[in-house]
Amino acid sequence: MFPPTSHLSRRALLKGLLLTAGGGAVMNWGSLTGLPALAEEVKRKRKHCILLWMNGGASQFETFDMKPGRETGGLFRPISTNVAGTQVCELMPKMSRMMDKIAVIRSMRTSEVDHPGGIYLMHTGYRPAANVRFPEFGAIVAKYQGEEGADLPSFIRVFTQAHAGSGFLGPKYQPFDIGPEGSLPPFSGSGMEAPLEARRHELRSFLEDRFAVEHKAYVSRMHREAYESARRLQNAREVFKIDREWETDRELYGDSEFGRRCLLARKLVEHGVSFIEVSQSSYDSHADNFAWHKGLVPPMEHAWAGLLTDLQRRGLLDDTLVVWTGEIGRTPQINNRAGRDHYVRSWTTALAGCGIRGGAVYGSSDEDGAEVKDNPVTEGDFFATIYHALGIDPKTENFAGVRPIPLAPFGSKVVGELFG
Amino acid sequence: MFTPTLQYQLTFEGLWPSAVAFLDSNRKLAAGNQKGEIYVWELPETPPEISAEEKEKSKERKAPNLNPVRRLEGHTNAISWLIFDVARKQLISSSFDHTIRLWNIEAAATGTAEAILDGDTRKEQFKRTKKEEILKALGVNVQTVGPPKTLEVHQNWIHALALSRSGNRLISGDAASQVIVWDLDKNEPLSKWKGYPWNWIVAADLAADGQTALVSEYRYKRDDFDIPSAALKLWHTVDGTEKLDLLKVQFPKLKPEGRTYGDGQLWRNFVGNGLIAAAFSPDGKQVAVGQGGETDTGKVHLLETETGKLSKTVSGHQYGVTAITYSKDGLHLFTAGRDTCVRIIQIADGKEVAVLGTPRGGQFKDWISAISLSPDESHLAAADIAGQVGVWKLK
Repeated sequence: MFPPTSHLSRRALLKGLLLTAGGGAVMNWGSLTGLPALAEEVKRKRKHCILLWMNGGASQFETFDMKPGRETGGLFRPISTNVAGTQVCELMPKMSRMMDKIAVIRSMRTSEVDHPGGIYLMHTGYRPAANVRFPEFGAIVAKYQGEEGADLPSFIRVFTQAHAGSGFLGPKYQPFDIGPEGSLPPFSGSGMEAPLEARRHELRSFLEDRFAVEHKAYVSRMHREAYESARRLQNAREVFKIDREWETDRELYGDSEFGRRCLLARKLVEHGVSFIEVSQSSYDSHADNFAWHKGLVPPMEHAWAGLLTDLQRRGLLDDTLVVWTGEIGRTPQINNRAGRDHYVRSWTTALAGCGIRGGAVYGSSDEDGAEVKDNPVTEGDFFATIYHALGIDPKTENFAGVRPIPLAPFGSKVVGELFG
Repeated sequence: MFTPTLQYQLTFEGLWPSAVAFLDSNRKLAAGNQKGEIYVWELPETPPEISAEEKEKSKERKAPNLNPVRRLEGHTNAISWLIFDVARKQLISSSFDHTIRLWNIEAAATGTAEAILDGDTRKEQFKRTKKEEILKALGVNVQTVGPPKTLEVHQNWIHALALSRSGNRLISGDAASQVIVWDLDKNEPLSKWKGYPWNWIVAADLAADGQTALVSEYRYKRDDFDIPSAALKLWHTVDGTEKLDLLKVQFPKLKPEGRTYGDGQLWRNFVGNGLIAAAFSPDGKQVAVGQGGETDTGKVHLLETETGKLSKTVSGHQYGVTAITYSKDGLHLFTAGRDTCVRIIQIADGKEVAVLGTPRGGQFKDWISAISLSPDESHLAAADIAGQVGVWKLK
């Protein structure tokens, strides 16, 4: 697996920015902010997205697509939900009462069966390619739904394994990564007294202005913008402190680190952040699949149910899309390590909020969960649906050099049945 | 001196065997599987020759197969333990269906059924030959027995079950951290207590007199950075009060409520992926605990019950220990693991004196899920997730 990408320090951020700008001469990110279409997008009511990322690939059989009585079914038993006729795994009692809020896709069929490729695919909608660096959908949401000049970054990843970043959209939409505990790293602050910091800022601005007069490259502007972003973040540092809220809402989200991350995600949405990825690790259950899922799913589903409840009671769910997915599903066969291996011929994802029809179950797998029985959904369809929910036309094109690239791959279709 | 010879390889394919127990002699054996089925075999004193048909089915067969005679019906999920209660002539089973069942082994049959225990072999043969008749061939006729007495107090998977050597007390533990000590004369709980609320009770045993319980707690992590603390403790069974925190003795700085990556690192090397096998020595002065889950080397720790101090770490199964039992004289320890071997350890010096089976080669290839010593300790049965129960003559 890829290690988490990290560019936490301002120095590293700026360094990365310069390198990217220098190496990406054919990219068009520099002209994006001037596009009239983008200005129009920004004027509309903003939408948000929270990605609940099940790193390693949660099992569909131990969550939403149970096969009781079959040899592939495993050790858990189904329970009823608040949607008549829909059952989920007994590991998800909280989510079983929230099924009227979410839509489940039981017919995912995707094209990358291993982790690095799958992580890339399920963050970008595209398979890894040598000549194009596709952006994560967080970067796309930041571009089309983000607020220019906000104190908080538009694209925040909490404990991520994703590695594509903003791709050809350029450093302006690079994610801001924070660690598993959800707090800002100590070096994200300047550590200087305010007057001293202000003087240094003035000096740096002066030098940058001089530099910009003689050098028209975007790099100097991007450098300044990145530095300004880092400075603006200082105004919003308090947002990342959630101890007080956690005391109040610990029970709602469940006492887990994933629960804390979900609470932070809700708070970030409330403060205008467009896209937040929240990850839970360790679903790659090649061995002891049942013990692993018994350990992982209950805190996850508790946090997820708490998040949906919290978003709804604050009136945020209508404009916040909650995406639940990992990079792969797991095999119907149980191997000789009591595990399930990687599987992408038939697996499950789920969506909620932003106009998604709660209670919907789209597509199905066959009796053993080996193949999609009806209504297959590709990664392209999945992302087209996500963009549609977020009010972004999935056919919108960006350019990698001179090559037009639609947000969702050519031929992808929005799953219209998922909308109310 | 142990000179183990494999006497039987009892076919038990499908959702693999997860528990095994000799009944009242070395001639009668029960095994349960992940599906909740329990079968009973009667073994002749002298094993028959391996039939030509069996040889043709599998080149790996080294000992004859026998068909079971009975199926005990009632459980609806994986069998986690089978224990024979000599005093009451009953088989005690625990399951992930949250129940404990007590089977009178002399009960009359309630019906008959056809059982297919070679389903995996059939599927493999069909793949090769495409002959439909292989799949449609008749199975084995067995008597059925059920339903038995059922103890229904647990609300979650029962991982742990053990009977005191005195035979009057039974301990059970589940994945909701509930421990129950049962009075087997009344079939009622004698005492109950809970471990840490986040943990699963993964192993338990009772001292010979039933007065002290050894309980191991563990749960799979919630995340790489959210690792709740394991526990290993001795308890007074009469009232469920804590007697000695064995893990704390090893790690005085242990913070049970700590769950960061760093907190986990303190005990992780000792506990591995859970001390899922635990046993009292017959004299009660020592306990043995084995590291389970999939790990590099599953170690077995021997601890003094008086002080909690580690006497020695013995044996080791590549990829994890699955079961531990002491010999009646307390001189030997039998351990099973994910390396498809049963190892016999001489406790005095920690030396391995015999190994039953061989690693099957390749990484992560099946495991022995449970073992049972016959009442006279002349035989050992091993449930193998490859789909068989091996019966070994030890001497």
